[in-house]
Amino acid sequence: MNFMSIISILFTAIISQNIVLSRTLGICPYLGVSKKISSATGMGFAVLFVLTISSIFCWGIYNLILVPLHITYLDTMAFILVIAGLVQLIEIVIKKVSPTLHSALGVYLPLITTNCAILGGVNTTVTANALSFLETFITCVGTGFGFLLAIVILACVRVKADNVPAPKAFKGFPLTLISAGIIALAFAGFAGVLA
Amino acid sequence: MENVLNIVIAVGIMVALAVIFAFVLILCGHLFVVKRDKKIEEVQNLLAGSNCGGCGKAGCAQFAESLVKGESVVTDCNPTSVANKKKIADLLGGGEVGEETVAVVFCNGGDAAIDKFSYQGYGDCIACNSVSGGIKACPTGCIGKKSCVNVCPHDALIMNDEGYAHVIKDKCTSCGVCIETCPKIIIGRIPKKAPVYIACSLHCKGKEVKDLCTHGCIACNICVRSCPNQAITMENDLPVIDYTKCTGCMTCVQKCPTKCIKVHE
Repeated sequence: MNFMSIISILFTAIISQNIVLSRTLGICPYLGVSKKISSATGMGFAVLFVLTISSIFCWGIYNLILVPLHITYLDTMAFILVIAGLVQLIEIVIKKVSPTLHSALGVYLPLITTNCAILGGVNTTVTANALSFLETFITCVGTGFGFLLAIVILACVRVKADNVPAPKAFKGFPLTLISAGIIALAFAGFAGVLA
Repeated sequence: MENVLNIVIAVGIMVALAVIFAFVLILCGHLFVVKRDKKIEEVQNLLAGSNCGGCGKAGCAQFAESLVKGESVVTDCNPTSVANKKKIADLLGGGEVGEETVAVVFCNGGDAAIDKFSYQGYGDCIACNSVSGGIKACPTGCIGKKSCVNVCPHDALIMNDEGYAHVIKDKCTSCGVCIETCPKIIIGRIPKKAPVYIACSLHCKGKEVKDLCTHGCIACNICVRSCPNQAITMENDLPVIDYTKCTGCMTCVQKCPTKCIKVHE
């Protein structure tokens, strides 16, 4: 585990294998919460936060419980249980410990209890047996940052796109989907850079 | 037999995980319980609940919280009725409650106000106003591109046939969203009981007004002189009505030569 491999994992997770733009996971919050830059940032950090913490727990449960008992086919179910429970737990704890953090992330936390970006991000990383704990952790952090990057870029584009005199048929979601497609196309240019 | 054992292990592990999580959640729920002031809920139930944002808070829940903390005063909220405001004031230990108001557009120019240029651009009043102050030659004339109509959370504003915005008194809750939106700053509040209002905001004299708009106030002083109760005074070439003296006799409405004193309805 040297410095270069950390960089290459982060680059892959954030840019070339971006969770939204390349793996098409988490489209629902990507389109739903990207109207304003502030809410997009909040959602992005909430995903990053939950993804990081749930990767630790899911790795533990997968490798210490599911693998020894040969029931790895239950991974999706176990992960959804862990993530949903964990998000609830985090919400209860930060509501008490840090009201500021709760007012910033609180609205978005219930939204991502069963979010596919989180489940997909954790699932594909943890169940890939080749990865050590540290590699899994870094990949999940990178995936979270990838989501944050993608949603903030889309929010910036949407804020601008709201004010252009577009034809009526293009207003709103059509324009958003086209913007998202163009952003995904731009990110596709990174595919194979660090293969 | 082995198959049965597999099922038992799988189900058992899942149930065990679920039970552990349930207990941890219950435990944390008790450990980290956040005490919420009961007053906040009582105050919130008394508020109008329109979540209009006129008070500057994100919604009625947040406004109730800041009321209880003493960071806001109840007069910041307009949609709430005076009776409920009194109850809130009693609950929180006194304070001003104010009187009921409604929003009104201080302009009746519309098509009667002269256009400076022909606007072919996009959007509403705010966009239009960014091009050399909008299409109207009058600096305080209603642009008529519906910014206020679009933002009103209660559908109380309409664009009337004469091309200026009009507030429907019965629907208006005086939340103030339109007041903050109007780029010409010609929407304001008057008491709900007020019978008449001056539908012009231009502080200019006769000929200057006539060059801009045929419905504008020309500061002729006829209303000031004709009012039997001396409720109207001229300030800066625009009449001001003292609603404590106004009886609603409508003399000024009939006498006004440009018909810019309007019955409030």
